[in-house]
Order: sequence, then C-alpha cells, then structure tokens
Amino acid sequence: MADDMPVSQLLDDLAIKILVVEPGDLSAVGDLLEVTEKLLGNAGVKANPVLEKMVDAFKKVLEASIMGELADSPENFDRLGQSVSLMQEVARGGAGDVQAFCKIFKEIGHKIDPSDFGVAATDDQGEGASPADGASDEVDTRFLADSELLTAFIEEAVEHLNSVESNILALEKTPGDSEIINAIFRSFHTVKGIASCTDLDQISKLAHSTENLLDEVRNNRLPLGQAATDVVLAVCDRLERMVDNVQDVFENGVDHFKRFQIDDLVSQVEQVMAGSEVVVAPAKAEPLPEKVEAPATPEPEGKKAKVDLGSGDLPDFMQDADLVAGFIAEAFEHLEAIEINVLELEQAPDDIDIINNIFRPFHTIKGVSGFLNLTTINKLAHSTENLLDDVRNNKLTMSADIIDVVLGVGDYLRSMVQNLSDMLEQGPSAYKDFDISDWIQKVVILQAGGDLDGATPTPAPKQRVAAVTPKAAPVAQAAPEEDSPEDLDEQVEPATAALSPSATTANTPQAKAKIGASIKVDVEKLDGLVNAVGELVIMQAMVRQNPLITSISEPKLNKDFGQLSRITTELQKTAMSMRMVPIRQTFQKMTRLVRDLSKKSGKLVDLIMEGEETEIDRNMVDSIYDPLVHMMRNSVDHGVQKPAEREAVGKPGKGTVKLLAYHKGGNIIIEIIDDGQGLNTAKIRSKAIERGLMGPADNISDHEVNNMIFLPGFSTADQITDVSGRGVGMDVVKKGVEKLRGKCELVSTPGEGTQFLMRLPLTLAIIDGIIVRVGQERYIIPTISVQESMRPKATHYKTVQGQGETIMVRNTLIPIIRLNHVFDVKNSCTEITSGIVVVVENEGRHRALLVDELLGKQEVVIKSLGDYLKDIKGLAGGTILGDGRVGLILDLAGLIVASEAKGPPPLKHSLGQQEAEGALAIAGEIAT
Amino acid sequence: MSSKTATRDEVGVGMQELAGKYLTFALADEEYGIGILKVREIIGLMEITAVPQTPSYVKGVINLRGRVIPVIELRTKFGMKAQEYTDRTCIIVVEVDSSSEGTIQVGVLVDSVSEVLNITAEEIEPPPSFGNTQATTNAILGMAKIKGDVKILLDVNSVVSEGLIEKFSGM
Repeated sequence: MADDMPVSQLLDDLAIKILVVEPGDLSAVGDLLEVTEKLLGNAGVKANPVLEKMVDAFKKVLEASIMGELADSPENFDRLGQSVSLMQEVARGGAGDVQAFCKIFKEIGHKIDPSDFGVAATDDQGEGASPADGASDEVDTRFLADSELLTAFIEEAVEHLNSVESNILALEKTPGDSEIINAIFRSFHTVKGIASCTDLDQISKLAHSTENLLDEVRNNRLPLGQAATDVVLAVCDRLERMVDNVQDVFENGVDHFKRFQIDDLVSQVEQVMAGSEVVVAPAKAEPLPEKVEAPATPEPEGKKAKVDLGSGDLPDFMQDADLVAGFIAEAFEHLEAIEINVLELEQAPDDIDIINNIFRPFHTIKGVSGFLNLTTINKLAHSTENLLDDVRNNKLTMSADIIDVVLGVGDYLRSMVQNLSDMLEQGPSAYKDFDISDWIQKVVILQAGGDLDGATPTPAPKQRVAAVTPKAAPVAQAAPEEDSPEDLDEQVEPATAALSPSATTANTPQAKAKIGASIKVDVEKLDGLVNAVGELVIMQAMVRQNPLITSISEPKLNKDFGQLSRITTELQKTAMSMRMVPIRQTFQKMTRLVRDLSKKSGKLVDLIMEGEETEIDRNMVDSIYDPLVHMMRNSVDHGVQKPAEREAVGKPGKGTVKLLAYHKGGNIIIEIIDDGQGLNTAKIRSKAIERGLMGPADNISDHEVNNMIFLPGFSTADQITDVSGRGVGMDVVKKGVEKLRGKCELVSTPGEGTQFLMRLPLTLAIIDGIIVRVGQERYIIPTISVQESMRPKATHYKTVQGQGETIMVRNTLIPIIRLNHVFDVKNSCTEITSGIVVVVENEGRHRALLVDELLGKQEVVIKSLGDYLKDIKGLAGGTILGDGRVGLILDLAGLIVASEAKGPPPLKHSLGQQEAEGALAIAGEIAT
Repeated sequence: MSSKTATRDEVGVGMQELAGKYLTFALADEEYGIGILKVREIIGLMEITAVPQTPSYVKGVINLRGRVIPVIELRTKFGMKAQEYTDRTCIIVVEVDSSSEGTIQVGVLVDSVSEVLNITAEEIEPPPSFGNTQATTNAILGMAKIKGDVKILLDVNSVVSEGLIEKFSGM
C-alpha cells in the first residue's frame, strides 16, 4: 500500500475513472475501490483527517454499491464524481466544503454527519455501516398513510394504464381518432389526480406531463406521430412499474421501495411537445430503477435489446440517417452558439445568463447524442456540461483556462460532428477515431479546481482506463458499436436535476418557434426565383413600352398595368429579402479570430462590433468572409502594437479594433478601424517607386499611395512586412471585394491607426443606376458613385497644359472623362457645354463623365457579360433595358484606369466655338 | 489539332472523327460549316449593343431571352470586307468551351445560313497550308468537297476564343 503516487494524482485518477464508469459494472467499481484503498494508505491522506474521512465515506458508498445496497445509477456516480472534486479541493489544502460533501452523500443515500469532520479524526465505524438504512430513511412514505386510498389507487391506476396501452395500440390502427385520444387523455388525467391525492409525487408528475402532451394532441396543436406514441407508451410502462413498486411496498414493506427516475421521460415528453424528434428506443427508454435488487434483473434485458439494435451492418447510430442528420445540423448550431457565448463570457465572466447559455447547448448535445448512442460525443459533452454546472453553481470560478477548454471542446466536438456528417455522406468508411480522453482529463482537472499548466501531466487516461476497466475502454475509443445501454440514464444528473427542467423548457420553445417561423430552402431554388422575378420585371417593362400597347389609351389597361407593376415590385422585394441574412454570423466568427490572434501575438485587443443586424445578400456571406479575415488579421497582427509599445506612445495598452456594418446609400459598408500604428506611407512610396509603380517625381497623394498596397505586386510576404508591416494578400482582399462589385478603401493616419472600408452592394443581383446616353449607346452609372450632374458652363471648363480637361465644380477642379472618347462612340456631342457632366467618386477620386443626355434612374438587374467578355476595363456588366436591348453598366475604377491609359482626346475643338451663354444648370442632384 | 500536321497517309484516320452533320453558312463567296452539335439556335438579326474596348470583330452583346451573350462578326474576324446587313444576315448561337464557366453561348454573325449537311470522312480533306498565315488556319478543321463545292469546316472553339483574351488584356 505504500504508494508513492501523490494524492492529487490518485484523486485525478479517481475522477477520471468515475467519469467513465458504467453503472452496473462491478469490476469498474472494484477498480474505484482499489484506488480508494490506495488513497487511504497514502501518507498524504493520512496526514489530512478531513480528507481521510471523505475518502473513507467514499469507499463505504462504493462498497455499499457493490453489495447492491445502493443504487449504482449514473446519477449517483455523478454525485460521487462531485465528491471527488471536493476531495481534490481538500487535498490541495483548501478548506473543502464539508457541508456540500455531506449533502452529496445524503443524496446518494449515505448519511454522514458534518460534525464528523471535526479537526481530529473521530470514530466513524458505526456511521457508514448501514447506508441502506440511511437511504430508506429518506424514502417518502407518506403515501403509505392511507392504505385504503392506496389500494384504490393501485387498482385504478393499473386499470387505466392497461386501457391506455390498448388504446394506443388501437390508435395506431386508426390514427387521429379523437375518441381514443380523449380516452387516453382521461386515463392519464385520472392517474395524475389520484396519484397526487395519494402523495405519489413522481407518478403524478410523470402522468401530468404526459397529460399535457395529450392535451396538445387532442386540440390538434400537435400531430400524434411515432415519437409521441413511443413516448406515451414508454411513460405507460414506467408508470406501470412504479405502480407495481408501490404495491410491492404496500405489501412487503418499505425496504422494497425503489426510487424511479422520471426526469428523462418528462424531458422526452417536453421535447415531443416542442416538436423535436425523439426516438424512444424500447430498451433505452427505460432507465433502471435506482435500486437494483439483484444485479441480474433488468439489465440483461437492456443489453439484449442493445445487441439486436446493433446487429445491422452499419454502426448503431447510423441506423437512422434522418435522425443523425438532424442531430448534425442541430449540433453545429449549438456549437456555434457555444462559441459565441463563450466569447461573450470572456467579456463578462460572471454573467450567469451566459454561462447558462453555454450550459444548455452542451446539455442538449449530450442528450441527443445519448439518444443516438454517439457515446464519445455524449461523454465529452457530458463532462464539459458538468464542469459548466460547477461554474454555474459557483463551485468553480470562471477562468481563462476553463474558457479555453470549453472552446477547445467545442472545436473538438465540431470535428467529431463533422466526421459524423462525412460518414453519413460517404459511408462508414469515413469513420475517424476521436480520442476524447485528453479533453476529459483537462475538464476533470479544471473541475477539481486545478489549472492546466500546473497539473501533473498524467499518462493518457485512455490507456490506464483500458488497463484497469476493460469495459470502459471502448468508451474512450468511441467505437461505434459501443455497448452502453445506460447512456440515456445520464440524461439527468443530480446537480442539474434541479435546474435542468428550466434548461430544457428554455430551450424547447425556441426550437418550436424556429420550426414554425422558417423553412429551409435550397439556395439554388432561391436564386432561381430571384432570377425569374428579375426577368419578370424586365418583361413587364418591355410589354408596357411596346409601341402598340402605348398607343392604346384605355383607362382599364393603364390601371391594370399599374396593378401589375405593383405586384411585380412587391414580388421582387420579397424575393430579394429572402436572400438577405444578418451579417451577425460572419461578425461573430471574427470575435473568435481576434481572440485567438491577440492571444497568440501577446496583444490586448478589444473588439467592438456594431451593426451586426445589418442584412446582406446570402450569396455574399461566404465571399466576404475571406477578405474580412484578412483585414482583421492585419489589424490585429500588424496594426495594433504590443501593449508596451502602445504605452510608450501614450496609448492605452489595450488596443481597440472596431468592426462596423451599416447601410449607406444603397450599399453596405463594412469598416474595420484599429487604433494601431497606421501604415508607413513613406516606405510604401519608396517601394512603389522601386517597383516602377510610380515615378519619383509623381505627385501622388498619401491616400493613393496607401491604397497601392492593394496592388497585386505588393502582395508577397517579405516585401509587405518589410514595407508596411501589413500582411499578405491585400490584392486578394481587393479582388474578393471587387468580385462582389464592392470597393475597398484604406485610410491610414500614421501613429493613430488604420481604417479599412469595404463598400458592398446590397445584393449581387440588382443595382440602382443612372442611365445615360452617349451617341447611340446607353450606359448605366451606379448611383452610389454619382455625386451630382450638371450642364457645364464654358467658364467652368479649364484645360491643363493645353490637354488635360477639367471642370470647376464648387471650387474643385475635377478631371473630365469623355465617355465617347474612352469608349470610341461615334456621333456623340463633343462640345462640353452641350453635354452633361456627371460627377462621380471612386476611392476618393473624383471624375466628371461627359455624356450626351441623362435618360433616367432605374434599378437594373445585373447580368454578367460572360466569360467571353470579362475583364473589360470600365464595364461592370450588362443589363437588359426596358426596350429589350442590352445596356452596359460602368465600372468607374476601371473606367478611370482606362481613360488614363488612353490619354486625353486631341483638343481640336476650341473654346471659341462654344456658345457663351451656356448657363450652369444643375440637372438635378441625383444621388439619393 | 493533329489533322493539321497529318501527312497524307494518316489523313483517313484523322478525318474520320470529323465526319458528321454540319450547319453550313455563307460568308461573302465562301461556304463554311460548323458541327451541328455546337449550334444552339439560329436567330435573326437583332439590335446589338456595342461593347467598347473589344476587338473590332466583337460586334457587342445581345439579349437572348434574358441572357446577355456576345456576338462576333465572322467577316471581320476573318479579315473580310464588312458588308451591309441584309434580311438574310443572321446570328448562329453556338456553345463553346470556357475556361471557368463550363460552356458559354456566343452569337456568330454570318451572311446567311444554308443547310445542314451530312459530311462523310471521304469528303473531308485536311486544311491547306498557306505558309505562315497562322490564326485563321488554326480554326479550320478541314475542307469538305461536296458536289464540286468546297465547304470550310470550322472549329468553333478556336474561332471564338482565339486571340481574344490576350487582346483584351492589352487594352
């Protein structure tokens, strides 16, 4: 017994073993006992009377369990697990919550007196000797008070339950028969009523919840599906056994009393009521009564059924693909919720609501994976849930370690669920082995109050467990065929028993609301609809503009056309809005990114997000993710300095990165603003000169120089870090944004930070444009870029060095781009004063486009010019105009480049030809 | 195109693949044919929107039932003299391979469409060599001699895509 293993290690070992122990597995319990004995023989324990006492009590419970005197239910093992945490606390020299310890043991049914934990070790031999007696003391025997009432109850209940069973079977033949449903309902109602009269709370509670379920069915609020039928039958069976036991107690005395676990069924009933799918596998739905009279009785049944279930070719949990698919989708959602909440928690570690929000998804994942026999996922979720429960109950304080572990477990679970989905798609061959023991160990260490760095690294528990408890080994290995009939029993564990009803009820209405409020539609179908609606709008305009139609002056026709266009507009709006989703999800992914990045780089960064509710086109969500990640990474990695550097320049040590989204002028703007060091413009300039992107003498503004980092040439790592401290792939960012017909812009103030701006269209399908005529051609200028338009006056027209044409608008000289010149359009006006200039802005540059005429403003559906004509400078695409012809949509950035490449037109026309009276006429502020 | 470099002995084999149905059309005094499987439809002349900064043979884009497709003028492409459009002028919509979009539809503007011919391997000869006049001969699969007439069989893919992208990027 002289074991040199430190106490903490033994306790860790104990904690892990408890976690993986299977109820009813005597050899595993034996192993636990062995460890306990080692502990008792350990010098460290002997030196600590309180601890010794605890271990002793622990050992007694184990012994009682082996003797069959105590229910070796999963709940009790969870309780034991908690007691181990308390022991670990004591072992580390903490005071130890003796009260809590005693309470746990009282719950188990093994009474200890808190006063026993006096300073000195006291005699306790008599105390734990009769744990079973202690347990029976706890039995609520009020129901035995009135034997007459009880007999009546038993008789009536048996009768009702029998009739329920036959009625349900009848119902399966004639589904929807309201008579039968009513009969079943009445039976449960009666059972509930008499049970509560007789003080049989558990029976009453179970019957009551089922009654509620049936009431929903009765009132046609819930279809009586397979799940509901199964649950009702399972309830029926359980009630029958409970009533049997009542009779047994009545006839043979209190020591025949069995405690029945009903919470699992109650929660199943609730889930069915919430509309979620529950599969009640016949063998799994019946947890064992807590007190197992002989280890042989109900358990083999369960095992046998299990074998049948698993006899298929597929792993057990793959049998119901629909169910698994449902779980996968749900699990992903939950894991996302977990991640979001954990990150929130980091900001407010004491917020109990957030902890609950994390706890619940784990709880749900655990529950559903339990149903589906996904043992590994179930175990991992379960242990994490326990950890969170301790935090929730203030047994542990939230720490960075816990947050890390919860995040890590979340990621790990995600990869496990991902593997499940792979298996679903590719068959069982895609199965991967996941080793959860590391995580479980971490969780256990944390749960015991240890911190991860300081904890003695113990050998992988998987192996140890495998060596000592052969039966528990498959658990750690997550073999799909794993035999664990008791998974379901873990559904409700003691510590959460009080809280779990609220947890489940809080969850279920949400699920219900979701199902009622939305349906999932294939994105392709949605795109098809949007496109078709676009065509419809165009066709309608074309029909309306048909000369034959316009020649008819019939009021009815006009009215009908008005009505038609209202309907199509409405249809278009609705179709478009269907594709819109809040940007929140994308933003929330950034939270994690910033957190990880700042941790890695040793920086302190506050991420402030605003406008998460801003909606963007569903099709853009994926496309903005990469640019956003790049920019965020740049801001944190290169923008924000290390705390020391920041403080040296008088900034707070903690940097701030703001992520904003908002609508502006029919666009969505996403801004990333950091308060870091800003770009090193001088270096970019010299690099640009070096690379021949500009001449040394070129007069280019800092702003334009800064934006050069978006050029492809500036994208390789060594150059960019060398030059500006900015990361790779800025041209990737720009390309990504431009693909979405968006714009990137960068404003940087040295020493104060960088502001990166992405301007994205609301939707990919439609833009608001101004149609202009140049010669015989019509072009569409995106309205967002248009600032104003006017008929220029001769006095405002200036040339620079005899060639560069400019126009003076509000005391600013703006270069003129003659569209007819750039696009080689014939027969267009060449006189400045007879045309119209449209002042546009692009990336901070202003240009005045000279056109012949403004034709109107219209929302146009953007059509790609196709692969064949892609990358034409100055054109963003085409659209079909009201007359059925194609109009071309201008791309201003490209247009500016193209006009610069082409050079100014030869100025053969002189100002003298122009009519002097060309009055400045504002053609109208078009920009909305 | 293996047939291009094929010697007389190998011709029979190379030409075998070319046998099949062709849609023939006229350009000036010449008759051309394109594989019928490449042809999607034939439409009458419609208003074409000119697209700037494209080679001169790209006449522009049209609205084909809601889709925007480019139209190329084969006369210009082949360096022939442009001619006023007549009521026989039409657009053959062909489907060609595209690097990124699978297949794309392109309209080919021709003087007039003649007929669909079943051309056998025996009737096909390899394209003649004109020395160094590259581009256009690349697009010629072979020459079909039918009842004294010669039909020039075109490889639509190369007619449409040849030199196009490079020309754009230069602009």
